[in-house]
Amino acid sequence: MEGVSYQRFPKVKIREMKDDYMKFELRETDASMANALRRVMIAEVPTIAIDLVEIEANSSVLNDEFIAHRLGLIPLVSDDAMGMRFSRDCDACDGDGQCEYCSVEFHLNVRCDSDQTLDVTSNDLRSTEPRVIPVDVAARSLASESGGFDSPDQRLDLTVRVVDPEAYTYDEEVIKKAEAMGKPGLVEIYAKEDSFIFTVESTGAIKSYQMVINAIEILKQKLDAVRLQDTVDADIGELTQHLGRGL
Amino acid sequence: MNAPDRYERFVVPEGTKKVAYERDTKIVNAASFTIEREDHTIGNILRMQLHRDPNVLFAGYKLPHPLQYKIIIRIHTASQSSPTQAYTQSIDDLDRELDHLKKSLEEEKRRYEEKFRQGY
Repeated sequence: MEGVSYQRFPKVKIREMKDDYMKFELRETDASMANALRRVMIAEVPTIAIDLVEIEANSSVLNDEFIAHRLGLIPLVSDDAMGMRFSRDCDACDGDGQCEYCSVEFHLNVRCDSDQTLDVTSNDLRSTEPRVIPVDVAARSLASESGGFDSPDQRLDLTVRVVDPEAYTYDEEVIKKAEAMGKPGLVEIYAKEDSFIFTVESTGAIKSYQMVINAIEILKQKLDAVRLQDTVDADIGELTQHLGRGL
Repeated sequence: MNAPDRYERFVVPEGTKKVAYERDTKIVNAASFTIEREDHTIGNILRMQLHRDPNVLFAGYKLPHPLQYKIIIRIHTASQSSPTQAYTQSIDDLDRELDHLKKSLEEEKRRYEEKFRQGY
């Protein structure tokens, strides 16, 4: 329809990357994109958690609801989550956790026969799917920019040196100082509005790098979902024609 | 008690479209897009991307109420363009930006790991 594009080409630089922690620079894009990625990482990257608990027998001192709640808090390795369905829109079952597309089954079968208190931990959970296991169980089985610039006015013999631009929070001190020296406008300060530093921390359910990749993927899916459907598009085609506008 | 179901936030109610387009009755080349079950995440990036298009005279979005899970994007364009055209274009551009971002991140990861290996 048209050849023009207002696309941006953001740049990334990884500063630090570990399994559960990552720091990277995102440049040449704007705050809306950075914020959208942040929001998606926080709220929309899928992970797996225990949601439905059926208790067959519980004669412990803890009541059923208490145990179910505790189970729900256990982080599970969620590398497969992107490939699974949400139980709310699973066709194979009614979201009651009976199918392999939207659920994984765990069994917890513990019995205390001694007169000591028995600790029951995520270690006692038996998963039916070896790729989906509690995070700490999985963990156990594994072993500056600096630049100075010289003052344009050499007679003043003044050098403003920016040692660490990221440590600087805006105050008017330098500007006031320049004015006091009788040189208003000598120093100007601009914020870099297209650069961002991301710090991503993960519970361990997904590796931090994968979290960012998944967030990008989710955001793409969300954008695809808000495309105009063809019925509307047809109306528009008609409308543009009606108004006598070429394509 | 009377709490709405949690899926209310994500599932588009039956009989409603994900995106509804409504032309402005008074101004030419102005329209509102009502997007169901979306929030600031989509609203703000679309708005900012629309601002990059010089044919767009006005682009804004609102979340009418925090408990109504929908946003309204309003676009007014110059006569060379149309709201739908600008809307589709901005989604395409954002989509490609994300493609590029994903590719750069994958490349950067390879570079980073390579650097890490050479360090030892």
